Amino acid sequence: MKGGAMKAGEIIDRIKAHLGVAWRDSTYRDTFKSGGPDTEITGIATTCFATLDVVRRATAKGLNLIIPHEDTFWNDRDDVATVEKDSLYAQKRALLTAKNVAVFRIHDHMHAQRPDFTFVGSARAVGLDPKFEDPPGSHRFVVPETTLAALAADVQQRTGSKGMRVVGNPKAKITRVRLGVGYASPPINAADVDVLISGEQQESDGTFDSQPYAIDAASVGVPKGLILLGHTVSEEAGMLEMAQWIKGFVPEVPVELVTGGEPMWGPAPPR
Amino acid sequence: MTQFTRREFAGLAATAVAAPFALAPARVHAAAALTARQLFDAIKAQIGVAWKDETVDGIKAGEPGTAVTGIVTTALPTLDVLRQAAKAGANVVIASQPAFYSKADTRTPPVPRPPGPPLPAGAAPPPSPPPGPPDPVFNAKNAFIDEHKLVLIRLSDHWRARTADPMATGFAEALGWTKHQVAGNPRRYEVPALTVEALVAALGKTLDVNGGLRIVGDPKTSVTTIGLLPGSTPIQAALEMLPGVDAIVAGEVREWESVEYVRDQVASGAKKALILVGRIASEEPGMIACAEWLKTVAPGLPIRHIAAGDPYWRPGR
Repeated sequence: MKGGAMKAGEIIDRIKAHLGVAWRDSTYRDTFKSGGPDTEITGIATTCFATLDVVRRATAKGLNLIIPHEDTFWNDRDDVATVEKDSLYAQKRALLTAKNVAVFRIHDHMHAQRPDFTFVGSARAVGLDPKFEDPPGSHRFVVPETTLAALAADVQQRTGSKGMRVVGNPKAKITRVRLGVGYASPPINAADVDVLISGEQQESDGTFDSQPYAIDAASVGVPKGLILLGHTVSEEAGMLEMAQWIKGFVPEVPVELVTGGEPMWGPAPPR
Repeated sequence: MTQFTRREFAGLAATAVAAPFALAPARVHAAAALTARQLFDAIKAQIGVAWKDETVDGIKAGEPGTAVTGIVTTALPTLDVLRQAAKAGANVVIASQPAFYSKADTRTPPVPRPPGPPLPAGAAPPPSPPPGPPDPVFNAKNAFIDEHKLVLIRLSDHWRARTADPMATGFAEALGWTKHQVAGNPRRYEVPALTVEALVAALGKTLDVNGGLRIVGDPKTSVTTIGLLPGSTPIQAALEMLPGVDAIVAGEVREWESVEYVRDQVASGAKKALILVGRIASEEPGMIACAEWLKTVAPGLPIRHIAAGDPYWRPGR
């Protein structure tokens, strides 16, 4: 199919039609952040964040509809007033315009969809086998008993993460793993959870402070662990499922995952 | 101000068991009359910031009438910090972060209640869900506080509202940067040029953190102007600070905000970096400064800081 025959609006309409849940027009997240329904599309890139680097690599491949899960202009509402005085905003906006890029975020509706691909992708990335999910779709996994250290090491090897962080006694024996994604982490003090694997989590002074709780749990011998992957490592994997799903009803243009990858690194642990 | 690593603190605490605070008996006796309530009132009166009606600061656990035997400041009053405090003979712990795992900072765990549909007018509310099983961590912490008759005070809103921001100046002092401060700006420092990697190593050593360190930017980038954002800060703080500095050293940010902003800055060719040390670790130096200040509020009382330590570790790779 030659580029120019498909408009971004047609693709978004097909996404809405295939979602399986009603589209909520009240969302401030799932909207165009660049371009619009009339932007002519030659290919689609899914990703976690439409970073400057992702925009460059996607457009180099002719993919000019970028579907990120998260915000583009460094605040959840993509509120331009917050960032417009910064020269980097002008630079990013200019690149998007020059390359004729449409950015349409899919966040709220991705989490409302069943299955929620962020969980599917994250479970795959960290090696949580669906056969251990009990009940299916619950994001609760009962894995063969292991230690927090062994689970964390396995997750590190599978994801290749250089910035992941762990809280809790490395020797704690664990079997019940709860998966969270992004910033939506259930509290670690739930009686039926030993370990929470998630993206990022406010460290303290929130609705429930899982890190401080896990520290104290370790000091009284209650097995609790927190494996924090970082937001991108947690949620980017599922954008592969998102790309494959879109491919199923948008055969006219190429659709692929363009990864932004992990933004942070940490020093190697002391030996 | 004297700086201690966590290991040295452990040593100090051990020494203190044998000779708690090693103060002249007469001064201890004179100070013994001060109650936790009186101490808190003195803090309110002397902090130099108008007391807010709505604040997280206050006495969170313990009997306010308790006579103060010694004060420990910390960023996070973990059970381990409470144990060290009690062992050293202190019974008041003053922290910048909550003791009971939430902003609400109550001694009982919050019971999750799923939101339901709005009730029709006049309808009786549905019965509350049954309480969960007892929480062993809350129980252990409460039991320790009761057994040792500790008083836990949170001092956050008003401490960090002081001029100049003691969380920032304390952080700089811990790093030996006080002399490098850009005049009039407690959050900006011009230090001898060093690589991001070297700065990370220095931060790790000074704050005794490893697993909690996370960095956006090239380890080999040379930096000389450093901005400090201890605690937890929104994108507005990074937007305001980054143009004037080479690197921001922060406690905690939201990844979808400042982390992605600095990632894009680096991708645009800017020689910039963001170093996150963790919210709790970033507030320990400010609580060392708080201990020093408290010595002027409660002279004669034994007062010291105990670090909660890095919450995080990272598997080998």
